[in-house]
Parts: sequence; structure tokens; C-alpha cells
Amino acid sequence: MTLTLLAAAARGPLDSWSPTFIALLALLLPLIAILLIVSFTIDSKRLSAGTAVLFTFASTVCALLVLAIEIAHPLHLEREGTFLQFFTGQSGAAAEFILKWGVTADPLSAVMLITVAAVSLAVQLYALGSMRRDDGVIRFFTVLLFSTFAMFGFVLSTSYFETFLFGALGTVSSYLLISHWWQREEAVTSGARAFIVSAIGDVGFLIAIAYIAFRFNQLNFQALAGHYTSGKVGSNGLFLVALLIFVAAAAKSAQFPFHVWLPGSAQAPAPAAALMHSSTVAVTGVYLVARTYSLFSSSPRALLVVATIGGLTALLGTIWSLFQDNLKRAIAYATMGELGLMMLALGIRGYGGGVFELFTQAWPKALLFLAAGVVIRELRTEQMREMGGLFRRMRFTGTLALIGLAAAAGLPPLSTFWGKDAILSRALAKGNPVWIVLVTLVIFLMALSLFRIFALVFLGETARRRRFEPDRIRDARGRVALAMVLLAIPSVLVGIRGFPRHSDFLGFVALRGVPLANSHFWAAAIVAVVSLLGAAVAWAIYVRRMLPAFAPGLEPARAAFRHGLYLDRAYQVGVDRGLLPASRALGWVDRRVIDGGTDLLRDSIVFASSPRGRLPRLRPQQFALGLFVGLLGLAAVIILVGAHLIKGLGA
Amino acid sequence: MFLLSAMVWVPAIGALALLFFPARTQAQIGRVRNVALATAAFTAALGVVMWYGYRDQSGTYAYEEARTWLPSIGASYHLGVDGISMSLLLLSGIVFLVAVLVANRIRENVKGFFILLLVLETGVGGALTALDFVLFFTFWQMQVLPLCFLVGRWGGARRLAAAWKLLAVEMIGSALLLLGILILYVKAPTHTFDLATLHNLQVPGSVAGLVFALFFIAFALRLPVFPFHTWFTDAQGEAAAPVAIVLAGIVTKLGAYGLYRVNVGQFQATLHRVSGAVAVLAVVTVLWGALAAFREDDLRRLVGYLVMSHGGLLVLAVASAAPVALNGGVLLMVADGLTAAMLIVLASTVAERVNTRSIRAMGGLAARLPKGAVLWMLGALAALGLPGLAGFVGQFLILLGSYPSHRLATSLVVLGSLLTAAVTLWTFQRIFFGPVNEAYARVRDFGTLDLGTSVGLFCLIVLLGILPAILMDSINFSVLTLLSRGGG
Repeated sequence: MTLTLLAAAARGPLDSWSPTFIALLALLLPLIAILLIVSFTIDSKRLSAGTAVLFTFASTVCALLVLAIEIAHPLHLEREGTFLQFFTGQSGAAAEFILKWGVTADPLSAVMLITVAAVSLAVQLYALGSMRRDDGVIRFFTVLLFSTFAMFGFVLSTSYFETFLFGALGTVSSYLLISHWWQREEAVTSGARAFIVSAIGDVGFLIAIAYIAFRFNQLNFQALAGHYTSGKVGSNGLFLVALLIFVAAAAKSAQFPFHVWLPGSAQAPAPAAALMHSSTVAVTGVYLVARTYSLFSSSPRALLVVATIGGLTALLGTIWSLFQDNLKRAIAYATMGELGLMMLALGIRGYGGGVFELFTQAWPKALLFLAAGVVIRELRTEQMREMGGLFRRMRFTGTLALIGLAAAAGLPPLSTFWGKDAILSRALAKGNPVWIVLVTLVIFLMALSLFRIFALVFLGETARRRRFEPDRIRDARGRVALAMVLLAIPSVLVGIRGFPRHSDFLGFVALRGVPLANSHFWAAAIVAVVSLLGAAVAWAIYVRRMLPAFAPGLEPARAAFRHGLYLDRAYQVGVDRGLLPASRALGWVDRRVIDGGTDLLRDSIVFASSPRGRLPRLRPQQFALGLFVGLLGLAAVIILVGAHLIKGLGA
Repeated sequence: MFLLSAMVWVPAIGALALLFFPARTQAQIGRVRNVALATAAFTAALGVVMWYGYRDQSGTYAYEEARTWLPSIGASYHLGVDGISMSLLLLSGIVFLVAVLVANRIRENVKGFFILLLVLETGVGGALTALDFVLFFTFWQMQVLPLCFLVGRWGGARRLAAAWKLLAVEMIGSALLLLGILILYVKAPTHTFDLATLHNLQVPGSVAGLVFALFFIAFALRLPVFPFHTWFTDAQGEAAAPVAIVLAGIVTKLGAYGLYRVNVGQFQATLHRVSGAVAVLAVVTVLWGALAAFREDDLRRLVGYLVMSHGGLLVLAVASAAPVALNGGVLLMVADGLTAAMLIVLASTVAERVNTRSIRAMGGLAARLPKGAVLWMLGALAALGLPGLAGFVGQFLILLGSYPSHRLATSLVVLGSLLTAAVTLWTFQRIFFGPVNEAYARVRDFGTLDLGTSVGLFCLIVLLGILPAILMDSINFSVLTLLSRGGG
């Protein structure tokens, strides 16, 4: 509805405003806020936080305007940043090579822009309440702003280069957010892990960029879009580039086996986790694939890889979530399942469905993390076995969490129902039973795992543990509550498709050459039934305690899944047993061999300058070694010089 | 124009003047410091003037000065800068200024320290501006002894060993350099030492390989390239902070400058023949530096390994001899000089505050040194090449430019930069994060001077990161000139 209204409004004077200019403004506002905070309000918590919220609000307004204009005129527009250009190559032969940054305004970026801006705003409102007593509030708000800025830049970027640039900034911001509480060992480790995994992705990304620049002499998405299939690069080359970019996307969006950073990232304060998992770092990978979709769609093999990895990630994520006892981690693994589902959708050419899911899942996911933050703060524990029966004491939070869960699980008619419907429609249209079964299974498991969380936290008996007084629990109030309501509204509404004339979201973000998935009646029915079934099963198992007979037999699998199939440990072992010993070995070679050689040189110079004084003190071994090395060097010089002389004679 | 002569000789004159200052009481020592500071600041200011007045031009040198000097052997007093040396000369002014600023920790024989430091500055400036091989060699020699004394006289416990090692390597490098220059002089079609003239001459192919190798090894020793790097890490560990700054900030960059000026400018054909081997050397240097840093417990030596790893990137740019990569290389030299100076200031301050250089003994220092933690974070980000900071521009352009000719090497080097990023971050965490260590409850935060210098350096890094064009266009002209051989 809002969109329709805005679209109507945009038909007025707004048309003459360039959407790219407004988008540029949205991008720069958080940066300006950071500069203001650092230079003027660094001493005042209230002023700094206020500045942050105010500027983010302004950014949100800009994002809404961009969206409105794009709905009225879905065009692809680009504006070059006229200042701070990078390598303009104005001089000489390197002129063909240009690195510039700019701003894109098209339906895809507009949709993402408003998601990031609005979630960031809600999250900051929440943080105003929840982080009030924290020591690092100003740091926290500054980094939140920086994260928002980086994601805006990522969303609006015009070229691979710019995407890389802002992606790296985003990585740094997530590192800072995750290790916000730096005294905690676990937070610090998780932050570093997130950074390193993302940097591994960046390695692939950089090589891909170098390859593209080398082959096409161009890095702009729009200019490249038609060129992938022009024959400059064979199908193997395209596959390779797409694969490298997918490595970057997988590392950023926690696809198997790069998912290891995602669970740990829940160590961030609740508002930061909400922002990262719903609309910033975690979804950058999906957005990257969507943005470079013309590359992926020109290589069917790459799409198959995307779909396979996505499907695997979705399955593993939802299953892992089912076995987690830590509340934040359980939600984080559900995010992983969601990200896998989006990748799967993109991989089976369900471009519209994937992007739609990206848009619709952001709101409930952020809402869930915020609700979890309230619960954890009141109970001072993250373990779900120490919770239970909270619904009576926290009716407001409980209700909102239920809305979020239902929306994330895809219960009709809430937001992600429509996204999942689009994805399943696409799978049905494709006709391959593997994808159909996979999508259905993932939807079922996701509903199951999400409602399990609700059952364990809010239903059942009130947990009893030492020094815990259930009567002192207070429900969310004030800004915290307002932020959650702000997210709950879109969680319910954003999925609705079919506005008059500007009818369809899928049509809105559609890409040329990629088939649209029309909604399938059966798909809607299956999603509705399966997600409700998942909720019902969760109710039966976790509230009614109707455990299936084979449950005890699953215990070993359960243990394995709870530890994430020991992949974390495998990585750790890889570092402990591989990298550090290698480094130690190099250090040994440095000290014993290379240093020894240099020492020998030094000694021989000292020796040469004072022969009589030094000679007796030289051990015979040293002398022999020196002689040997000297002879070797002499031989090398003779061979080199001789070879040249002989070559000269021959010529 | 006397600008270049002024830039080169002002520090030497300052050093000469310092000889006549007494340094017995505290007030007198303070006066010595001020004179040194004024000299360094004046030189840096001249550098800014030079940068401001520099106009892009291809083919010729700016601020050229030519006077007859030893005409009988074909040598002359010929100075001049192009975009490459101009950028480095600017860097030299800044780095030496920073070194003099942070030299207030030097307590003994202050006068001698500043005299040597200023003589070293003349040597560096001269080597950067000399357009004549005899002159170049003279200035190159002028660096060796001051450097050796600076490392051996002021510094940690094992400083003498480090100084001896440095001297040995420098002597070998100088010998090779001299040999190369003489062979080139004898074998070139015209008997001249003039760089600009030689640039347009074709050296016979059979000699070219040998001379190339001699120059390459001489400069690679300085850079430092694997396996000649231990003198550098030792010196980084043992030398006093100002000396380490100068060493990592500009003196090692002269090695890369030599590679550019002679090996790329003079022997392109040979370079193309051996570029595979050079690329291998680059990859090994990058990976070695990054990997060895993981297990290094000495904070100062660790910074040395990081600088070495970046040196490998410069070698890769040389190996590719592609304009984009060479552009990036010059920018990386400047960026890395600034970053290394900043990191060494921070590292030595932290080490001084907690009275140890061992990283293992640190931890949780963010509680005691909040400003230091923020600055170190920024420095680490600059070192690992965060976009928006100067290092990124250099690294990105090098990778992009050298990819077409050395695909595998570039990919491996990217991997190396991943390792560098990891180790930089990890080091930061080990120093500052984690449980607060009670042993350091009384440690004071960074002082004004350390804050000021590192913030100033960081501002320059940011400036260069978001506005690389302030140097880039000039560099690009000169790189293209370097790659085009006038005489064919």
C-alpha cells in the first residue's frame, strides 16, 4: 500500500529529480554522520546516538524516494561520483584503464536500499534503549553507521571494483561489530573468523576482477552485461570467473563450507546481529550473485554449482538450527538455511524468487534477533534449556516473536510465504524433482526449527535455576518496543504482491533474459501446508513432548550436528597443525639457514679485515663451510660469466 | 633551479652545523634537537614545494640541474626528478621528519645520532635525484655507514650483531652495484655514466644479462627480497624506533626504486626474459614474509616481516613491467613507507609502555591504551590494504596490472596478502583484546607526540587512499616514459 501511495506521489515534481542523486545522498548521509560524531559529539553518548538515528532516518527517507521513483519509472540509471575518482587514467597509454566509482539506481538496488536503511533505522532505535548502559555506545553507533554506509555502497555500486571496495569495508565493520565486547574471548575469536572467511572470499573476488579486467577491459556491470556471451571468453573461462565470484559470495553469505563465521557472529550485541543477519554482511553474497546475474546465467554449470551449494547450505543450516541449544546460534543457523534457500533459488534461474526472498526475509529475521535480545537481556542466559514459559511474563515480546517466526517460516499470508511460493513455483516450472523436494524439505525444516525455538523459549514450564527470579522479568518497553513494532509491520505486509498496475514485485526487479516465475497455485498450497505442518510438528514434539520412537537412536547424529559436524574444529586444526607449524618451520629456516648464511658473510668480512686476530678463533667447521660456500659462489659466478662469454662468441 | 640541490644538501649542512653545537646540558641537547627538527622540517617543506610545482611531463626530468664534474670519465653532477622519484623524495622528507620527531626517546649521544640521521637523509635524497651513476653510487655509499652506526650504537641488546649483518649485506650490495656500473660503462656504446643518456642506448644483449643480474641482486638485497631478508628483520627488531622508521620507511624503498630505474628502465628486454624467475622470487618473498610473521613473537620484527611481504609485491610489479602494475608499485612504496612508519611508531610506543616486545606477554591492553588501540586498528587496516586507504590503491593496481602476464603468481600473491591481513589482525587482537591484564594496570595511554605523529601519518594515508590522483598522474607519465625506450 505504502508503495502504491509513494508511487502515486512520485508522479509529481519528483520525476525531475534524479534518483541517482537521491541515492548518492542516502549513501553519503551515514558517512557525514560519522564525521560529525567523531569531530563534535564524541564526548556525549546521547548526542552521538541521536545524530546517528537522525541521519539514518534521513537516509531512509532518501531510500523511500528512490524506491518511489523507481516504481514509477523502473529504469537503470548510473551516476558517476564526480569527486574522489580513483584512477582516471587521464594520462598516456594507461588511459584505456579506468577505475571509477558511481551510484546505480535500478529496481534491484532501490529495493535493497530501502531494506538496509529501514532495518538499520529500526535497529538503531532499539540500540538507543538496549545499549544505553554499555561502555562503548558511541563506538557501537559509529560502527553501525559505518556498516550501513558500506552496505549502501555495496548495494549502489556500479562495477565489480566498487563492489569489492565496499564489500571490504563491510567486512571490517562486521569484524568491529562482532568483537564489540572485546574482553570476551569468544567474541574476539568470532570476529576474527568472520574477517578471515570474508577475506578468503575476497581472494577469489580479486582474482575474478583481475581476470575480467584482463579479458574485457571493463568492470562496469551494465556495460559487461551483454558482453559475457560475446565470445571473448569461452564457456570454461566464464565458468571459472563465475565460480570465483561465487566463492566470494559464498564466503560473505555463509554458504557451506564457508558458513563457519555465521554462528559465531551472533556474539555481536543483539541490534548489530539483527542488522548483519537480516540485511547487511550476511546477504551481501546473495546480492552479489543477483547483481552479476547476467554472468551466472551465461554459464549453466556455474548456476548448477550455485544451486547445489545453496541447497546443501539450506538443508544443513536448518538441521543444525534444530539441534542448537543456544538461542542466538539457533536463529543464526536458521539464517544460514534462509541464505542457502536464496542461493538455491538463484541457481535454478529463479532470479525474481531469490531477490524477493532476500527482500521479505530481512524484516522477520531482524525482528527475531531483537526479540531474542530482549529475552537474553532479561534472563541473562543464552541457553534455551534455561528458558521456557516466558509467554505469560512477556506477552508483548512473545507476540512479536511469534509474528517474526511465523513470517520467517513462511506461514501464509506473512512476508516470506510469498517469497517461498515464488521459489517453489520456479522449481515446479523447472520440473526437476530434486529441486522440488529440496525446496519443500527446507521449508518444512525451517518451520520446524523456528517453531521449536518459540516452543522452547515461550511455552512450557518456567525454567528454574539458581538466582533467577521469574517475577522480576520485565517486558520490552519504550524505544525497544517501538523498534520491534516498526519491524513487525513490514514482516506482515511486505510480501503482498499485486498492486494495481505496478502489479508485481517479480516483474519489478526482473532482469532481461531471465524467465519470470509466475506464481503457481500448487506452489502456494504446498508452501502453506508444509510450513503449517512444520509448525504443528514442532508443537507436537517440543510442547506436547510426543517424541517419535526412533528419537533416542538419533543421539549420536544430534551430538555431531550440535557441533556443526566438527567443521569448526577441522578449521581450527588446519590452522594449528598446518599454518602455525609451517610458520614455525620458516622461522627455523630463517634463523638457522638464511641467517647462518648471512652470518657467514659477515664473519668472512670481519675475517678478511683482520686475518691474524680472527683466524685462531674460527672453528674448523666454520672454516670448511665458509670455504665450501665461497667455492660454490665462485663457481656460480664463473658459470654465469662463462655462459655469457660463450653465447657472445657463438653470436 | 637549485631546489633539488637544496633538498639534497640541506640535511648535510644541518649535520655540519650540528657539529658546532655543544651538547652537554639538557638545554643544549634541546637546542640540538630543535636544529635537527628544523632541518628535517625545512627539507620536508621543500619537498612539498617541489611536489606543488611539479608539472606532468613525459620524456624529460623536472628541476633538472647539470654541472660538469669529472668530465674526463664522462660523469657529471646531474640531478633531476620524474614522477617516481618525486613521490619518493616527498616520502623521504616526511619519513625523516617523523623519525626526528620520535627521536626524543634517544637519551645518549643525541648529537651524534642526529648528525648521522641527517647525513643519511642526504644520502637518500641524493640517490633518489641522481641522474648519473657515479653520483648515484656516491650517495648510495653515503647511506651505508650512517645506517650501520645508527643501528649499532642506539638500540636493543643484540644491536651490534644486527649492525654487522647490515654492514656485510650492504658491502656486498655496493660491490655488486659498482661492478654493474663499471661493466655498463665499459660495454655501453657511448662511455657515459649519465642515466638519461644510457636510457636511450641499447646495451649489447650478452652483457645485458650479467649487468641486469648484478644490479638486480644489489637492489634486491636492499629491498629486502628472500633469501636476503634477515638483516632487515634483525635491524627492525634491534634498532631504535627512529632508525627503524627510516629503514623501513624509505631506505628499503630505494631498493625498489633502483629496480624501477635501472632494471625496468634500462634492461627491459632482459627483464622480459627472466620475468618468470623474478615473479617466483616475488611470490616467495610475499608468502615467506606473511607466513614467518605468524610465529614471530617480537612485535618489532613482526612489522619487519610485514614490510618485507609488501616488498615482494613491488618485485611482482617489476616482474610484470606493465604500466598499471608499475603505477601501483610506486604508490605502494609511498603508502607502505607511511604505513610502516606509523606501525613502528605505534609498536615501539606499546613496547615501551609495557616494557617488553613479546606479543605473548601483552593482551587486554585496550583497557589501558584506548587511543593506542584505535590508532593501531587504523594502522593495521592501512597495512592490510583496506579500500579507502593508500595501501589498497597500490596493491589493487599491482594485482590488476600483473595478472595478464603472471596469472599464477598473482593469484598466489593475493593469497599472501590474505595471510598478511590475517596476521595483522591477529596481532592486533593479541595485543589489545582479551581479558584485561592486571600487570599493566598502571600503564599510561599514548602521549601527545605519538598520537600526533601517527594521526598525521594516518591522515596522509587516507588522503592518498581517496585521492591517489595527487600523485598518480605524475607517476603514470613517468612510468610510461620509463617503459618507452627513446633510442630503441
